[in-house]
Amino acid sequence: MTSATDEPLIEFADIVRTYDVGVEKVHALDGVSFRILRGQYVAIIGQSGSGKSTLLNVLGCLDTPTSGTYRLNGTDVQTLSDDARSDLRNREIGFVFQTFQLLARSTALANVELPLIYRGTSRRERKQLAQQALANVGLENRMHHRPNELSGGQRQRVAIARALVGRPSLLLADEPTGNLDSATGEEIIRLFDELHRAGNTILLVTHEPRLAAHAQRAIRLSDGKVVADGSGAEVAAASAPRSVGT
Amino acid sequence: MIGTRTIGELTEGVSIAATALLQNRLRSMLTTLGMVIGVMTVIAIVAIVQGLNASFATQISSFGAHTLYVSKWKWLNLSDDWWKMRNRQPIGKKELLAVQHESKLALAIAPLCGAMATVGHADHELTGVSINGTDEQYLATSGVEVGAGRFLVETDVEHDRYVAVLGAEVVDGVFPGESADKIVGQKILIGGHSFHVIGLLNRRGRFLGQSMDNNVLVPYTTFGPIFGSKRSWTLAVTSRPDDLNALDNELTGILRRVRNVPPSKDDDFTINRQEQFLRVYNQLTGALYGVAIGVGLITLIVGGIGIMNIMLVAVHERTREIGVRRALGARRRTILFQFVLESAMVALVGGGLGTLLGLAVAQLVALLSPLAAATTWSATALGFGFSAVVGLLFGSWPAWRAANLDPVEALRYE
Repeated sequence: MTSATDEPLIEFADIVRTYDVGVEKVHALDGVSFRILRGQYVAIIGQSGSGKSTLLNVLGCLDTPTSGTYRLNGTDVQTLSDDARSDLRNREIGFVFQTFQLLARSTALANVELPLIYRGTSRRERKQLAQQALANVGLENRMHHRPNELSGGQRQRVAIARALVGRPSLLLADEPTGNLDSATGEEIIRLFDELHRAGNTILLVTHEPRLAAHAQRAIRLSDGKVVADGSGAEVAAASAPRSVGT
Repeated sequence: MIGTRTIGELTEGVSIAATALLQNRLRSMLTTLGMVIGVMTVIAIVAIVQGLNASFATQISSFGAHTLYVSKWKWLNLSDDWWKMRNRQPIGKKELLAVQHESKLALAIAPLCGAMATVGHADHELTGVSINGTDEQYLATSGVEVGAGRFLVETDVEHDRYVAVLGAEVVDGVFPGESADKIVGQKILIGGHSFHVIGLLNRRGRFLGQSMDNNVLVPYTTFGPIFGSKRSWTLAVTSRPDDLNALDNELTGILRRVRNVPPSKDDDFTINRQEQFLRVYNQLTGALYGVAIGVGLITLIVGGIGIMNIMLVAVHERTREIGVRRALGARRRTILFQFVLESAMVALVGGGLGTLLGLAVAQLVALLSPLAAATTWSATALGFGFSAVVGLLFGSWPAWRAANLDPVEALRYE
């Protein structure tokens, strides 16, 4: 994240993702291009069906585009094998999900250790890093609790700790406040702001223009196309009236 | 790095599997039940058959190994020609002399005639003792060993002496607690006749559940007048191992001539071999093995299907977890490995329990019946091996399905 190269972290060139739905072809992404630099805090907004979930999956290397090129931190993702993409996810991407996606039977600490297991970090180092990551999100006293013993906000902070423990180059958040009450949601958004100030590259996918306003930059998707790309506040303001209607 | 990753994934896999098994205790138990029963059946039967084999092998080798037994009766005869054999002329002195004179291949020839009688000395009496009339060559044909005193000699037979060599069980029953050298030289009553004890046989153990030590050997010349000389004898004839088949032919020729069997008629005697026991025995245990393996395989397949079923349920239940793990960097083979490991553990727990129970059942059978049971490593390894293979085999398809889930779909799965 402290790389001095001028190369963008993410380079999306004419990305198309189509799904076969019966005989019809649905263009979930229809020629999306953008670049994201290191250290940027970018919101991707759009209504449901706009293609932002597909975009998130492609960005997260969980899905491969039908055509187009995707370079992540210097790697051409679409040419990689499944194993290589797994390793790339492990190294480069930290996921934060709307529904937290914590393993219910594991403690907070074990959840946070998980990415390091798949990286082959030694047990001792794993534990140390996971404890540090949990402390960074203010959960040093909740390490041995299971998800059902934690509040929604605490769960999401465990998920954030898990996303960051491996020092990925990109933090990918999908509606991180969607399952939280507004006060807790604010708390998480403030945490994202802090993480951004600490140098993390953050990509936040949301349908709420209000969250997008926190970001440096916002990209608005509609029908699988980029329809606006500007400062967070501008794009959010432009979107606000529409989203009220939904 | 690969090392720590593998170790990390392995310990993670084991802990996931253990957690899953413990959290679904009842389900895991019911799932393994099929395995437990299958493995238990196989292990119990294998342990019993191996126990039988071991005792049978030692027993059969304690007999004279290269000996033919010429007899009116066919051993282990299960067909209906019993009546034919019953009407055969008895084998006796005539046949013995003919074989003694004419056989070139025989190394030792001993007649054998038998009766049951009561044996007594002082206050002690033993009923139902097998009294065998024979001669000095019995030592060579039977493989018995004399532990004290001496065996029958030619002059005992020539002079119809009232001398006896006692089996170990007879010694126990008639001379309890007496030392061997004191017993030799004493008198005993056999069927009301007084005999000198001249020797004691070493203990031989049991064969097919029957004691081989409950006998008394006397000269056949003495046996005849007491127990009846019309009894049909068995002639035990020993040759060198390579000559056994030739001896069979030679004896057939001698016997047919001396008994005047016309060329058109079948033999009116049978030449028996130890191998007959072995063959019948192998048929029996072979059938038992076959049944055990058949039953075991069927239950293991049923158990395996149970495991497969529960693993499919587990994969289904943990679809989201699989998605999360994939998102965090687990490779396909990591997921595959995790679920295969889990099913192998289920199977191994079942196999372990089944092995323990099977060995316990075998020991119980050995305790309550004359059957023997061996607790062998090979049987235990077989139980574990079988169950591990079943676990891997039947767990691999659910695991493959888990590994090939689309991470996007899996994460979205409700």
